[in-house]
Amino acid sequence: MADRITLKRIIKLLAISAKLDLTWLLRDAKLALLAIGGDIVNNVAIASGVFLIAARFGGIGDMSADEVLFMLAYSTMITGIFALFGSGNNIHISRIIGRGQLEHLFIQPLPLFTQLVTSGFAPFTGGGNLIVGICLMVIAGKRLDLHITPWWILSLITYLLTTLVTIIARSYFAASAAFYAPVAAEEISSVAIDETWFLSTFPLGGMPQAIQIPLLTILPEGLMAWYPSLCLLGKSPLHLTAYYPMLYALLIALAARAVFRKGLRYYVTRGSNRYVPYGFRR
Amino acid sequence: MSPGAPTDMSPTDSAVKLNGVTKIFTQWQRDNTGKSLLRNLLKPEKRVITALDQVSFEIRKGEFVAYAGPNGAGKSTTMKLLSGMLIPTSGSISVLGMSPQKQRCALMRSLGVLFGNRTELWWDHPVIQSFEWKKVVWDIPDALYRKNLAMVTELLDLGDLLNTFAREMSLGQRMRADLALLLLHSPALILLDEPTLGLDVMAKRQMIRFLKQLNAQAGTTIVVTSHDMDDLEEMAQRILLLADGKIAFDGSFAALRAELGCTRKAIVDFHNGARKEISYQDTNILLRELSRLEGIANVSFTQMSLEEGLANLFVKWRNAPEKLNSYVKADQHVR
Repeated sequence: MADRITLKRIIKLLAISAKLDLTWLLRDAKLALLAIGGDIVNNVAIASGVFLIAARFGGIGDMSADEVLFMLAYSTMITGIFALFGSGNNIHISRIIGRGQLEHLFIQPLPLFTQLVTSGFAPFTGGGNLIVGICLMVIAGKRLDLHITPWWILSLITYLLTTLVTIIARSYFAASAAFYAPVAAEEISSVAIDETWFLSTFPLGGMPQAIQIPLLTILPEGLMAWYPSLCLLGKSPLHLTAYYPMLYALLIALAARAVFRKGLRYYVTRGSNRYVPYGFRR
Repeated sequence: MSPGAPTDMSPTDSAVKLNGVTKIFTQWQRDNTGKSLLRNLLKPEKRVITALDQVSFEIRKGEFVAYAGPNGAGKSTTMKLLSGMLIPTSGSISVLGMSPQKQRCALMRSLGVLFGNRTELWWDHPVIQSFEWKKVVWDIPDALYRKNLAMVTELLDLGDLLNTFAREMSLGQRMRADLALLLLHSPALILLDEPTLGLDVMAKRQMIRFLKQLNAQAGTTIVVTSHDMDDLEEMAQRILLLADGKIAFDGSFAALRAELGCTRKAIVDFHNGARKEISYQDTNILLRELSRLEGIANVSFTQMSLEEGLANLFVKWRNAPEKLNSYVKADQHVR
């Protein structure tokens, strides 16, 4: 029973999460496939709506219809990766904190970080959107005649990870409120995460800076797809650096880490006076 | 966890050691007046609750200890402190030679924790799936997993339950499955908080029998809390009685009975209508006493239950808290 968390151990933990996901899916495959299908149709519909507007008017803001499609592909891939790794309330962490369920994590012989990274892995129920996103990305890339190099793919992966870090950090930052107000803040992660989706599929190019700047700082919806997409297309917006999303992700991750650790300390000092049994084990 | 992380104690045969542990909580207070509402907006009124007050005790490896006390006495708080879910306000805690706070991951490989009102089972999966999940998360070697799986399946009669979905099991079946899950990594110490809560007589008997067997045969140290004193007396060899956050009694059940005056009584009815009550601890003494009496028509036996005795004692303590200390460590020699 090794103490060190090795890559092999992480893979084993991801594999057991994947197996649980598969067996859950196969328990009632008909209903599960309907839910997955519905989810994919929903995401395609969201992307289609914006794309059709862009196609009808020859683009939105400073982006052509194909660039808008590229941005929508990026957004769908983010949704897909989120669903792939965040299906166990591990990103909607305020639910676990607010329901007093962190204690289930404390009794496992794994660091909290390892548990949170591996416990929500759901490739079978959460992978659909990622596949749709990749398909859209390939179509958009062909229409834009992008010159795909290994460096560009690496940049894409880096931007995707950066966006994901921003979403997770924002969720954990907000979720820290649940340490102090477990009932009121139980769903605060959902609010923080859902907010990031609302405007993520709309290009901010045509908007005044008074709207753009808050959406790249206070409420970083512009960093969910618009800004990184333009950077990947070689058109960094607002004369800002292409590294701005990384800098933002780093700062919000550090802030979230500090606030979350403080909340965790409060939790193990004061304890939770609330325990809700549902929604912890699928 | 780094191998060189500090521990709170020296290596001994001690399974659990608490040294001057105090745990203080605060509770929000507010009456139902508008004035209080406004005052609380500016300065919330809080009351300090001392859940554990300078608690010290030691449990040796292989012991089966009952941890009892009235509601709010601090039983669950102690369980959470021992399993690293809470940190003490002051004092030191050592579990299996490790600090639950500083060496949580290492400790959890040797510790099993079960709260009666919670489950570690995966709700929408068969029990065997939860077992397999545990094997991976605890990194249990194949041979040990197979051995323990066979053992718990047989002793807890899980044969038919292994392929049943957790959500479709009765409470008793779920508790058996949870207990089995708890044992798969061969924990050296088991903490059970109200494990018989809500169980029917049959399920309770089965669980008690199993725990006694586990303690006797595998030498597993068990600490169990319950409100049911009969259950505790049947299971454990030693009782730690907690009242108002302090250890009020530490000793054997026999000593506790004697302390509480819960002695057995023989009521002797004579042919002439007279009646005599004889209190006794030892049956031989009773028989000797009875052999001296003449004209016995009938003998009946009564015994004040531990629960009744404790209820009287708790009322006494509530009315005169200073008397509480007179019971502390009344029977240390039985350890």
